[in-house]
Amino acid sequence: MKSLRMSYLVAGLGGVGFFAMSVLLLGVWPGRVLEEETRRTSPKNPLALTVSEKRGRQIYAREGCAYCHTQQIRQLDADTVRFGKSTAVWETQFDYPHLWGTRRIGPDLSREGSLHSEDWQLTHLYSPQAVVPDSVMPAFPALFDGAPDRPLQGARDVVTYLAGLGYARALAEPEIALKKTSGPPANGDDAYAHNCAGCHGPHGEGDGPAAAGLSPKPANLVEHEYTEAHVITVLERGIRGSSMQAWRGLPHHDIAHTVRGFYRPVREPAPPPAIRDLGKQVYADHCAQCHGENGDGKGSAAPEVRMAPTDFTSERPTPAETLRALRQGVAGTPMAPWNTKLSEAELSAVAYYVRGFYR
Amino acid sequence: MLFVAVLFGIFASAEMWKPELSGGIAALTWGRLRYDHTQGILFGWLGNAFFAFLYHAVPILTGRPVTSNTLGRWMFGIWNFAIVIPGWTLVLAGFSQPLEWAEFPVVVDIFVVLALLLALIQFLPVFFKDGLEDTYVAGWYVIGGLVFTTLSYPMGNFVPEFLPGARGAAFSGLWIHDAVGLFVTPLALAIIYYVIPASTGRPVYSHFLSMLGFWLLFFLYPLNGTHHYVFSVIPMDAQKGAILASSLLGVDVIIVVANLFLSLRGTGWFARDLPLRFVATATMFYLIVSIQGSLQAQMAINGTVHFTDWVIGHSHLAMLGFATFAAAGGLTHAWRKMPGARFNPRAVEWAYWLITTGLLLMFVDLTAAGLIEAREWKAQTPWIDSVRAVRGYWIFRTATALPITAGFVALLAGLLTGDRVGESR
Repeated sequence: MKSLRMSYLVAGLGGVGFFAMSVLLLGVWPGRVLEEETRRTSPKNPLALTVSEKRGRQIYAREGCAYCHTQQIRQLDADTVRFGKSTAVWETQFDYPHLWGTRRIGPDLSREGSLHSEDWQLTHLYSPQAVVPDSVMPAFPALFDGAPDRPLQGARDVVTYLAGLGYARALAEPEIALKKTSGPPANGDDAYAHNCAGCHGPHGEGDGPAAAGLSPKPANLVEHEYTEAHVITVLERGIRGSSMQAWRGLPHHDIAHTVRGFYRPVREPAPPPAIRDLGKQVYADHCAQCHGENGDGKGSAAPEVRMAPTDFTSERPTPAETLRALRQGVAGTPMAPWNTKLSEAELSAVAYYVRGFYR
Repeated sequence: MLFVAVLFGIFASAEMWKPELSGGIAALTWGRLRYDHTQGILFGWLGNAFFAFLYHAVPILTGRPVTSNTLGRWMFGIWNFAIVIPGWTLVLAGFSQPLEWAEFPVVVDIFVVLALLLALIQFLPVFFKDGLEDTYVAGWYVIGGLVFTTLSYPMGNFVPEFLPGARGAAFSGLWIHDAVGLFVTPLALAIIYYVIPASTGRPVYSHFLSMLGFWLLFFLYPLNGTHHYVFSVIPMDAQKGAILASSLLGVDVIIVVANLFLSLRGTGWFARDLPLRFVATATMFYLIVSIQGSLQAQMAINGTVHFTDWVIGHSHLAMLGFATFAAAGGLTHAWRKMPGARFNPRAVEWAYWLITTGLLLMFVDLTAAGLIEAREWKAQTPWIDSVRAVRGYWIFRTATALPITAGFVALLAGLLTGDRVGESR
């Protein structure tokens, strides 16, 4: 019996030994490797979280966001094509505790910062279904004072935290993933309904349930004529300064087909030459600095403003929409109202004139 | 406790297809309910059930009473009134950790460690009084389960708060697996190894296989954890080691289950005794869920099913199929040995069929949903398509809660109604 007792003693020590080995082999040793790798690969001055980001992160943690949204892009095509380069260890060096997650119901958020604007995030947090009609994400109205554009500190913190996700990585190694599409477009109505209608409305009138919380407002697609190339570029890159995100992975050709289908052409008489000349003069004096001499949005002041000026060669608003923008400006963009500086005649003339750039 | 935990689960599952159910109340949103569901099942249901069974089994296994009755009352009080109920409440109020199987906040974790230490004092010394030569395998599992849970608990619950990102995740991965492997599995196996001979009146088939299975389990289980983060930045050698250990663990489970079923052979276990039927079914689920686990740790399969509902199906098969069936078998077995306790076999029979049906439907449903999600992700369709594609499956999953919950009600009724034990009909 003594031998049996000895063997149990050995096995018992072995069991504890294996447990210790598991901690060393799968916990401590990887930790040292990862620490070393962080030292080696991290940018010189890594961006630590700001106070607001830290508070936002706490809310993100307590609401279980990580249980639907992973922050771990695996080294697999299925992940990297959709979300970007796989997670590097130095990106996670300020995560106490980590928020990797093991279930992915919503998309991975490791690189969320570059995808959506602040007011998109606020509207989405207030009512996810307003922006993404089929979303199953819970709403967090408790973080707001009754409306998406009246966030309380909590909502601001969460959105600040989200805006910072992936920012350090983007600075360290920018990544541009443009998707090439070819072939004749198919019907994009379905993709539009499930991805775009939340903001742009079911019929493209810019009146989706999310529109109320967004600034600038979503484009009214009925009032704008777009070239196909323009829609595809916007889908690929998004529009900086607005809530329009880059829509990686959507069928760009098909959606462009649907979007272009919303436009209702209007009959317009050709303006008399006198008016065209007046329009040309007003445009050169007041508009060309931003919108460019040829209307391509590449004026000398264009790099200075917060949002890229409209490129009239690939986007043509209806006369009514053009006049509205000229008179009232476009809220949330650098486009100011011109009704105090220009006469009614000048406004009409330049409205006609810019429509001539479209190719 | 079980019912509260199940209700958390049902609500959370319903919010997956009808998110407005929370009514905008922060405490009722999906995230917090999800935390409370799994912690409730782990501590509220399985923890209480396991300890209750130990009070029945340990004195019989060792021929001695447990250390102290007063200590027992303290443990009960701490477990329920310093861990489960405050844990639930704090999570709903917004105090928690975003770590799987470790969602209760750190302050509650301190009491868990305290309770585990008290459990060591309560249950272990009686085993050591006579030396361990004659210790039956169920006793070994009790010793192993309690000791290693106490060792690994702090690792998953405290360490990630102090180690950032990937380094903390490595420890999280270990605990995710140890919670199931070093707490739930050994104690459930202790019940199975106890109830089978106690009900059939025959010894287990082979004590050697029992011991082999036991030691292999404790050697291999801790080495599995990193398979929760395959294709991550954690060093590939650690990932591969964990995958190898996961494969070997499948072999170990085959040894254990073979031994158990050889012990059951020819006993007419299905019709013989209801508690026995529960533990035998638990053994089958144990085999299925473990082989599935070994397979889904393999890189080719893991790359596809990881992050999907497939894994949720797997965990329900483990916690509901294996652990809950074992716990239900152990509790009903112990219950009938209590003088004056009631027992209603018809209700327990209903419970068996209702829970089995609900579980199998849920498992199939979630597995299918997981495969659909994986296909959508690989096809690089717009993200929301993967959500739309499985919506129907989520509705069905909530519906499967109906038979499962009814089964639990029937189980409770089976223990509270019917003839008193020892009374003649």
